[in-house]
Amino acid sequence: MADEAAIRTCCIGCPDWPVVVARRTDPSCRDQPTVVLEPPGSNRVGLVRAASPEARAEGVTPGLRRREAEARCAGLVVHVTDVAAEARAFEVLARAVEVMTPRIMLDRPGRLTFPTRGPSRYFGGDDALVARLHDAIVDAGLGDVPVRIGIAGSRFAAGLAARRNTVVPTGGTAEFLADWPVRVLGDPEFADLLVRLGLRTLGAFAALPPTAVLARFGPVGHDAHRLARGLDLHPPVLAPPPPELVETHDFEPPAERVDIATFAAKTMADRLLDALAARGLACTQVIVEAETEHGEQTSRCWRHDRALTPAALAERVRWQLEGWLAASERPIDDDLLAADAVTAGLTQLRLVPDEVVPAVGRQLGFWGGDAAAADRAARAFARVQGLLGPDAVVSPVVQGGRTPAERVRWVPWGEPREPLRPDGHGSWPGAIPPPAPARILRPPAPVEIVDDRGAPVQVSARGDASGAPSALRGDVLPGGGGTVVGWAGPWLHDVRWWDPVERRRQARWQLVVHAATVDLACLVVLERGRAFLEAIYD
Amino acid sequence: MALAALPRRDRHAREHLADLARRVRPVVFAHERAIPIAGELGELLPMGGLQRGSVVAVDGVRGAGATTVSLRLAAAATAAGEWAAAVDPDATLGGLAATELGVEPERFVVVQGVPDDQWAAVVAALLDGVALVHVTVTPALRAGDARRLVARARERDAVLVALGAWPAEAAVRLRADGGAWHGLGQGTGLLRARTHDVAIVERGAGARSRTLARAG
Repeated sequence: MADEAAIRTCCIGCPDWPVVVARRTDPSCRDQPTVVLEPPGSNRVGLVRAASPEARAEGVTPGLRRREAEARCAGLVVHVTDVAAEARAFEVLARAVEVMTPRIMLDRPGRLTFPTRGPSRYFGGDDALVARLHDAIVDAGLGDVPVRIGIAGSRFAAGLAARRNTVVPTGGTAEFLADWPVRVLGDPEFADLLVRLGLRTLGAFAALPPTAVLARFGPVGHDAHRLARGLDLHPPVLAPPPPELVETHDFEPPAERVDIATFAAKTMADRLLDALAARGLACTQVIVEAETEHGEQTSRCWRHDRALTPAALAERVRWQLEGWLAASERPIDDDLLAADAVTAGLTQLRLVPDEVVPAVGRQLGFWGGDAAAADRAARAFARVQGLLGPDAVVSPVVQGGRTPAERVRWVPWGEPREPLRPDGHGSWPGAIPPPAPARILRPPAPVEIVDDRGAPVQVSARGDASGAPSALRGDVLPGGGGTVVGWAGPWLHDVRWWDPVERRRQARWQLVVHAATVDLACLVVLERGRAFLEAIYD
Repeated sequence: MALAALPRRDRHAREHLADLARRVRPVVFAHERAIPIAGELGELLPMGGLQRGSVVAVDGVRGAGATTVSLRLAAAATAAGEWAAAVDPDATLGGLAATELGVEPERFVVVQGVPDDQWAAVVAALLDGVALVHVTVTPALRAGDARRLVARARERDAVLVALGAWPAEAAVRLRADGGAWHGLGQGTGLLRARTHDVAIVERGAGARSRTLARAG
């Protein structure tokens, strides 16, 4: 019953794809616990993005800070995300699979899906198809990559089946889903609510009548309920979008670099999504087609479960072109890519909306003032985002917090400007009052804070200082530091004392130091007996 | 008389009138093309504000207050309803300090983590779009690139506020010389305000200086 409104799908996933890519580029870390950090410029920079199984065994999980991860796991090898390399490496896998079915859809580098009806019939059943896929992946030189393949009656179930490397028999999808915990739905808040209501598994949740779920939980619950019942998120039969919505851009002269094409893609994505929005539609699946001067073509279908935003769409174009164009820019050892590398610049880029759904409302910003100036500024910021990536262009949002760094959230341009924590006076005891420092060092620079006998100043657990600070020394200070002419503190900050992992005990000083020729005011933080310069009132 | 009121067939007369209107259009004075800056900082600057299309260089040792002075200039631009952007290669600019100094956060965007080889391209792109670009100068900046940016700012009528050692010409050069901090005692009190010593460096020799207060 459940399979009638869903398409039987195969999912190929590589868990921790960033780690796999890091290990392919740097074979020396093959057997070592390895983590990959978020790329610089993102608002989560410095946090762990993916961890190898060895690192996970030591308790390293995505979202940890680098220092915390290194503390948990000795000998940890740390790599920084290389988005281009990830997209390039996944292109090899995508091409190996494309030989067997033309209808592959990429979710992101590291995961792709395709409907199995045609290929399964052709190759003689799902099991035979999986065996074929494994062979094709090994033939492509990816034998050492931990690829997992799953087939099930819906896209969501296929993703879970890939985690277990299994083929779910036809009609058995609901049964397969029943045992999974509700947190696999991917919405922690909603899953938490279900657990508190006593619905711990997808089976228990799926057993509720759909109308009651919609009435109680709204659209979020309705979507989750469809997934839990083994249906696809959107009904699969959708009218094809009108042909005039296809967005085409001709490059004159041909684009030789990925960033030029990405920049054009951002504008195209804006126009395409505007045109769709004018019809009350949003796009969930888009085909990106590119053609070079010599007639070489690439076409990929990208899917996003929620509606695509212009930035997300442009990012997918970049991933695809990185995998394709970059192959001709530099020599690489992957034979499969080299065989049909691009030999000329890009002449045309096309964005074809492949699946559209009714838009369920998107809050548009209301900008006062000169609309033309805002448009001009937005174009300039989009151009810079095209050069440096979307996360490099940020705007400050003041929020609640105790330290100056916590008080501001840097939101990438184009994303909703919402604070993470409410900003209320009185709700943040121990916050440092204004003025705020104009320079916040990331990461804080090590300094030495000493008393008049020359001994380092320590702060006890009760907040008593071992002596009055008399000098501050450090390479970041002009003239290497100087004498302290005024101070306040120490103030103890016991951050997240309820969490044994994230807990941090810090003591802060506000100091005015006579360094070189100026009186320099700064914030110094003491943590685990070491002092760091956190901010300068410049 | 509105042009639309004339008979449509009388094209010649319309062209003549349009030409006349062009000739008698009032001249735009330099001070009308300035972003006004209130207070003592404005008094220090020629014509009381930032000339559109010019470069203002702000320098000073770390901790002397150069960032505060330059953020004040950015605040003046956003207060006038314009957009401002900052280029901050090492991502140290304090967003809270910017808003405290009066920068309107909804019209202020910071570009973080700019590699040296793309610095000039990013600044040029921003000069195309916003009225004021606040940049932290990278030591790798070549004088030729800096001169091109001066020309770009003039062409686009944008203000470039360069923080650090600016290797090309600038309409105004300011130097932050530190100043006394108030409110902090020996183990008591809290930082409250600073008296900023700011000097305007004249071409050739000599400097006019002035002190400005920043209240907490």
